[in-house]
Amino acid sequence: MFPEWMKGAPTPFSSVLVANRGEIAVRVIKAVKEAGLRSIAVYSDPDSNALHVEIADDAVHLPGNSLTENYLNSEAIILAAKSSGAQAIHPGYGFLSERADFARDVANAGIVWVGPSPEAIETMGDKISARSRMIESGVPVIPGDEIAIPEGSDHMGALASAAARVGYPLLLKASAGGGGKGMRVVHEPKMLRTEYEAAAREASAAFGDGTVYVERLLTGARHIEIQVLADKHGNCIHLNERDCSLQRRHQKVIEEAPSTAVSNDLRKAMGESAVLAAKAVDYVGAGTVELLLSPNGQYFFLEMNTRLQVEHPVTEMITGVDLVQKQLEIASGIKLGISQDSVGINGHSIEARIYAEDAKKGFLPSVGTLGVWIPPSGPGIRMDSGVRQGDQVTVDFDPMLAKLIVHASDRESAIRRMDNALSSFVALGVTTNIGFLRNALLHPSFTSGSITTDFLDSTPIEEFDPNYSNPKIIVSIAASAKRLGLDKSANILSSSDEGDHSGHSGDPFKTLSRRLP
Amino acid sequence: MEWEIADLEDKFSVDLTEREGKVTISSVTVNGNTHEFPEIRISKIGKNSTISLETESGTRPAHVKKIEGKWWIHLEGEVYVVNEVEKGGKTSESAGGLSAPMPGTILEVMVKEGQRVREGQPLMTIEAMKMEHRIVAPKSGEVISVNFNQGDRVDMGATLVELGD
Repeated sequence: MFPEWMKGAPTPFSSVLVANRGEIAVRVIKAVKEAGLRSIAVYSDPDSNALHVEIADDAVHLPGNSLTENYLNSEAIILAAKSSGAQAIHPGYGFLSERADFARDVANAGIVWVGPSPEAIETMGDKISARSRMIESGVPVIPGDEIAIPEGSDHMGALASAAARVGYPLLLKASAGGGGKGMRVVHEPKMLRTEYEAAAREASAAFGDGTVYVERLLTGARHIEIQVLADKHGNCIHLNERDCSLQRRHQKVIEEAPSTAVSNDLRKAMGESAVLAAKAVDYVGAGTVELLLSPNGQYFFLEMNTRLQVEHPVTEMITGVDLVQKQLEIASGIKLGISQDSVGINGHSIEARIYAEDAKKGFLPSVGTLGVWIPPSGPGIRMDSGVRQGDQVTVDFDPMLAKLIVHASDRESAIRRMDNALSSFVALGVTTNIGFLRNALLHPSFTSGSITTDFLDSTPIEEFDPNYSNPKIIVSIAASAKRLGLDKSANILSSSDEGDHSGHSGDPFKTLSRRLP
Repeated sequence: MEWEIADLEDKFSVDLTEREGKVTISSVTVNGNTHEFPEIRISKIGKNSTISLETESGTRPAHVKKIEGKWWIHLEGEVYVVNEVEKGGKTSESAGGLSAPMPGTILEVMVKEGQRVREGQPLMTIEAMKMEHRIVAPKSGEVISVNFNQGDRVDMGATLVELGD
């Protein structure tokens, strides 16, 4: 049985397997259910009690102890789709989402692929071929050297001469990379070998391909990305920009839309370039064209992410378009139904990524039990979370626990709303970056809207130091709690412990269509 | 019973009295120096982790829970981890040793026993959660022992390298 909205669609489906875990699996499964489709989760052993498994209509176990045996195993996932009767596969982000061969195998198995064509993934997934295609299409690219340095011996000569041509400081980038993995900044020639080896190793571990290339490091630039949507009928639009300049070691920390650095004219130009980039690969579905905006207003193509992006919610908040719903519609062959002129900007949205990491210890990942997890709620607050109270945080997976998204009528109000939401967010048992996020949000460089991608890495960590309370009060609380027998409560790990506040009560879209004053 | 706050070196002890679920703090001793503290009162709210903290500056809620042997406290947007220690007990940090900041796999060992290293020099690379982290020398000195090899899995807190002067 197909839902009403899919009537007349050329490639209809009634069920979707979500080939992912964590917050994005939860986000997509909720959208699948909302669309009137049967949702199917997959999970490995450590995830058998995970939130995404709990909320899905069905779940298929993936055996094996390593990611390559389960979440990265395309054969096992296609088998899971067949055994559960899934008619479509949504890959989320990360894992297999940008594997062209997986997209091809899914289609060959007679399953609808919620994403672009394997050819588009291939062209854009290889940074070197993407650069060449963009140059052909007239989309500006960063000066660099397209020479590929395959993993293996006898590469240092070629690498050193490419580095010398591009000039220092430079960026070593994994050709198959993304998300900051396999990417290293090299400031001086003597660090080239060490950084290359680290980049190649990381790229090899994360993407199964250790090829890297060399690009000039643009300093003082902002990371602006344009969301695009394209259907199977040749319609392609953009949904404005996201500013993701607040990064640490190329990992985004806080994202917002719209950007303080983008005027209406610049937005139009960047949007048109993004649509041009998408059309150059006959793009289908939701995608993101990442651009670097230099201080003089010039912008350059960085890469295109041929999948849903972690920070997609801020675009949803300001445009009112549910991107996952659109992905499902497009996959079924339905026309886009949104014209470029009808895409507006309503208010301002900010997203903060909640990581299990310790800012005071060089942002090392932290582990433990989420003994207390009380996310904030209220008007204009959205939580996209993959965890709930009582969950274990382990080293098995990416340390991102959740995303906190706020929406308000203007940027100042959105910052205030985020500040309040972060300070009332109670997460105990695992060290998180919540305090750091709040201090970054309130840093004068962020509140004034003037930060660039090198801001976090070049600002002393002391500038984000929290305002600690008097330690005598803190130990008084601990001693009192012990006296009051708070360590004796029987159900420390029960997720119902905190009543209605715990876990995932917030539907990601409950505030989306809210009209702001 | 003494108390330690993570990342602080001080040792605290707390004098308190409890009456009908309300705790009154009379003094807090920091490294042997006693501070009178008559104005703090703490009581439990409901049956969960929430408490009410009453000080001179008013009443505020806080969250506190003992999780895996440590007291975790959320107060005004910040989180604190407090440890109970036996009086006169040892602190967990071992002098001169560099302990693993997280569980993970040793990717690379860059130093040998007997080698002199300078402050900031990379000693080992650990991988966890798909990211690499470098362990660097906190001070200059001689490597007394290297306790793990490439490929070894290490638990959090394991002493990786011991550094002498």
